Amino acid sequence: MFGDTINVLHNALNLRVQRQQVISSNIANSDTPGYAPARLNFEEQLQNSISDSQVSLSSSDPEHFPIHDEAPGVQGSVSREPSLSRIGDKNNVSLDQEMQRLSENQIKYEAMTKMLRKKFSTLQSVLQK
Amino acid sequence: MSVFQSMQISSSALQAQSTRLNTISSNLANINSTSTPEGGPYREKSVIFRTRNPQFDQQLQSSMKNPNQGVRVERIVESRDPPKEVYNPSHPQANEEGYVQKPDINMVEEMTDMQAAVRSYEANVNSIKSAQRMARQALQIGS
Repeated sequence: MFGDTINVLHNALNLRVQRQQVISSNIANSDTPGYAPARLNFEEQLQNSISDSQVSLSSSDPEHFPIHDEAPGVQGSVSREPSLSRIGDKNNVSLDQEMQRLSENQIKYEAMTKMLRKKFSTLQSVLQK
Repeated sequence: MSVFQSMQISSSALQAQSTRLNTISSNLANINSTSTPEGGPYREKSVIFRTRNPQFDQQLQSSMKNPNQGVRVERIVESRDPPKEVYNPSHPQANEEGYVQKPDINMVEEMTDMQAAVRSYEANVNSIKSAQRMARQALQIGS
């Protein structure tokens, strides 16, 4: 009944919250010597999981419900960007880049919550008929 | 909920940065202190930051793998630079040659360090605000 939208949005929201944590620890450690900023990469994996889930089971009877096998969910992968220069304190955090990532992540999170709300309000208006 | 974890991470940074600000204030306040309880002139102090995992069970994980790390002040170190000597024979702490040992604190260095600490503090406050906003948005999903 709900389709894939809610599952995909749920997964993506969780990943955005995790990315928020990663970015806040980068910002928190912007003065820690030797700290290599972490990145959480999930866009590509999420894209693949969405296109994979288009494959549906064949139904031999029109009464069969289409089965949306719940995807295990994209975990995302963490990578580090260590400083390559041999001078300074080997801290590779760029505060302005991190702030940009932070606001981008937040805006996208808001967009997703808005989409979820729209989805639910559509369902609600159907239920009230 | 993990939005709160990112707030914890940022608040650990707020604590660390305010400790840094405290040491800077102490350095600036004692820029002319010629004697201390430990003896000798005041020595410039600076903080050493170190990553910290917010929860104990996460400390068991490899710290390189876990990307969610807060920050803490590992220790406060004293400068090993020799104090500067100023000729002032009438000073009660002057030595036989008439020199007084004064802390070698560079005012410009302290002020720039202070600005950097304030900017980092602000960045972390913004990060908390952002997490707060996300949590609020999440609460509105069902309504």
